[in-house]
Amino acid sequence: MSVSISRPGETRAVPPSDQINLGVIGVGSRGKEVMRMMLRIPGVRVQGLCDVYEPRFAEGRKITNEETPIYRDYRQLLDARDLDAIVIATPLSLHADHVIASLESGRHVYGEKTMALTVQECDRIVEAVKRAGKRYQIGLQYHYAPWYREALQRIRAGKLGRVMQVYSYWHRNNSWRRSVSDPKDLKLERLINWRLYRAYSGGLLAELGSHHIDFANQVFGGIPESVIGTGGIDYWKDGREVPDNVQAVYRYPGGGTHFFSAVTTSRLDGSQLRVYGTTGSVVLTQIDGIFYEEPATEQSAALAETVLEHGVITGASYQAELPYRGLGHPIEVPEGKEGNANYACCASFIESVRQNKRPEADERVAWAEGVAVALGNKAIDQGGRLLFAEHVKMPA
Amino acid sequence: MSWARPGIAILPSPDASAFRRFAWCAALVLAALAGLTALCKAGSEQLFAQSRQAMGTTFTIYLYAANEEQASEYFEAAFEEIERLDEALSNYRTSSELSRINRLAANEAVTTDPEVFELLQRSLDYSRRSGGAFDITVGPLMRAWGFFRGKGRYPAAQELAKARVSVGWQRVVLDPATRTVHFLVPGLELDLGGIGKGYAVDRVVVLLREMGVKSALIDAGSSTIYAIGAPPGKPGWNVRVPQPGNRLQAISTVLLRDASLSTSGNYEKYFRLDGRIYCHIMNPQTGEPVQGMLQTTVITPGATDSDALSTAVFVMGPLAGKRLLQSIAGASAFWVLGNPEARRTVAWRWPDRDRRTSRASRAMNSSVAQRNAGP
Repeated sequence: MSVSISRPGETRAVPPSDQINLGVIGVGSRGKEVMRMMLRIPGVRVQGLCDVYEPRFAEGRKITNEETPIYRDYRQLLDARDLDAIVIATPLSLHADHVIASLESGRHVYGEKTMALTVQECDRIVEAVKRAGKRYQIGLQYHYAPWYREALQRIRAGKLGRVMQVYSYWHRNNSWRRSVSDPKDLKLERLINWRLYRAYSGGLLAELGSHHIDFANQVFGGIPESVIGTGGIDYWKDGREVPDNVQAVYRYPGGGTHFFSAVTTSRLDGSQLRVYGTTGSVVLTQIDGIFYEEPATEQSAALAETVLEHGVITGASYQAELPYRGLGHPIEVPEGKEGNANYACCASFIESVRQNKRPEADERVAWAEGVAVALGNKAIDQGGRLLFAEHVKMPA
Repeated sequence: MSWARPGIAILPSPDASAFRRFAWCAALVLAALAGLTALCKAGSEQLFAQSRQAMGTTFTIYLYAANEEQASEYFEAAFEEIERLDEALSNYRTSSELSRINRLAANEAVTTDPEVFELLQRSLDYSRRSGGAFDITVGPLMRAWGFFRGKGRYPAAQELAKARVSVGWQRVVLDPATRTVHFLVPGLELDLGGIGKGYAVDRVVVLLREMGVKSALIDAGSSTIYAIGAPPGKPGWNVRVPQPGNRLQAISTVLLRDASLSTSGNYEKYFRLDGRIYCHIMNPQTGEPVQGMLQTTVITPGATDSDALSTAVFVMGPLAGKRLLQSIAGASAFWVLGNPEARRTVAWRWPDRDRRTSRASRAMNSSVAQRNAGP
């Protein structure tokens, strides 16, 4: 009954030349999710796992369902001969070293977001991609979310009029802390909860805001010109070093702002991107999108007539500026374009490797997101307004 | 740890050094007692509970943890895993891996990841072993009978005939060498509603155990319940099996420990027509809702198994059901048959708590589901 009769472990249906062997550096929660997605693509095999935390090897092999070779040092993984591309899902501060070394070893790279911790590191990755002549894709999965793509198409077609603001928040109500098997082991604590420590992490702006920043960059067609930021460790005073309450406001050339907020003490609003245009708005969530027409302004010829005859009545002002509470139009994803953002993101990378073409979320997209996050964090740290032109070499 | 203040000692007393002495003694005893209680509390764990919506139902997790922060870390990790699996296995979300397979597999062999592939293999294995009573391809039948996002209705003959053509686990081809799924007929679709919640519970159990949880109850919409260990000082977690259609009336109570219990009932989604009840559990062979079965409850060591088997033996009934369960180590089952007016029950290796405890209190431990079950 089987379509092609073969035993497990035998050569796969995909010709060897089409098989893509991946090495994975960083087998934490994100690395594992990327692996699951990659393994849904025909002819993709994970042929190397690298981590510094021993339990990750067994976890990773459970996902690959085979005795995948393991490495405790990423340089050893890069020395392996049979790898075509490298997935990097390590703490943010390590991205630059891992990405550049992988590119220099002659491999294509799928690098998790954010691109890198600092502007200089982002620049170095862009140069390394150019030097190596290999493909680089950033793991910004929402860049590939079908309902995001559809919304963006409408925005670019002018369906919202002129977009003046992206108002976004990612609000949670939890400590953002992962359980550590031995709480007294401080080394392990920093390894597992690296997101909470400045040496490795860009905090909430990097881990959550990056997705929204990437979208705002697409809406406004480039990187911001300035940012102001604020934040603090206001509630979770548990030894962490990154703010648990963050806001940043980016301004784009030609007018237009992106306001981003992340809190860890309320999940009323969840994660939402609200795009306000002069004739319509779009609200995007992690699973769908809704389009709203701008509520109509009343215009009535009859009303204009009666004012001359009857005059108007004076009294106390009563009209409140209430939010629009009507229904919107769900953004329908066309048939054949529906699907999972993470899967689409991984499939795009594999396709770009196989066909030797630029992925949609390439190093330029990554750089624009990376420097905006880095400078946003700088603004949060030092306060005040920060001009991009003074800190980044604007792309040609 | 905090010591209770001996407040009573400083109460002004009218006279009497004797009273004062008594007061001091009382205060000291009280303080010592308070200290002891505080010590015990510091050494022991507290019970926490959290519920969230997932997989079209409410998941509730009860667990013992040292403090709220620790409990919160356990809950976050557990619910994150459930959400991950919902995103992979849901047939309601267009973004799920299952939906992707359903969209493409009639036209091509679709590669999927080892986890999803293995769950599909297990599902088809249950179909094989249950003679088709358990079948993840009944989706078109569910639609025809109006149970997909609806409360049910009697289908037109033509509609039913059309649905039946697109049903049948033998029409799903899994190729382990390429890890691909292929449908032999168009219109076929996979629905993991009878096994996915159990699988999610099993995954959460592994995760919580790895994180060091010693005592917890994971409840997937009350249809699948897994007990990790037991509450402190207790032999197991109490699980009440309700009278069909009356959640408040228990017809059996079991003590669950390191085992899973699943229940399928005809009362969750159903409609009545000409005096008959049409429930949402399909008999894949007849293409119609199962008749004459009110409820089945199955206990097995794992939740994926109990979830799938409670549906399988609901369709199969006690006679064939027992034959299937005999091949599964540690399984036991409880059927409620007939109709709401005339019920009868069939228990097989069933560890009812009360029945045993009434015989002899020393049997208490052996009534714990996990130890009692199995030959």
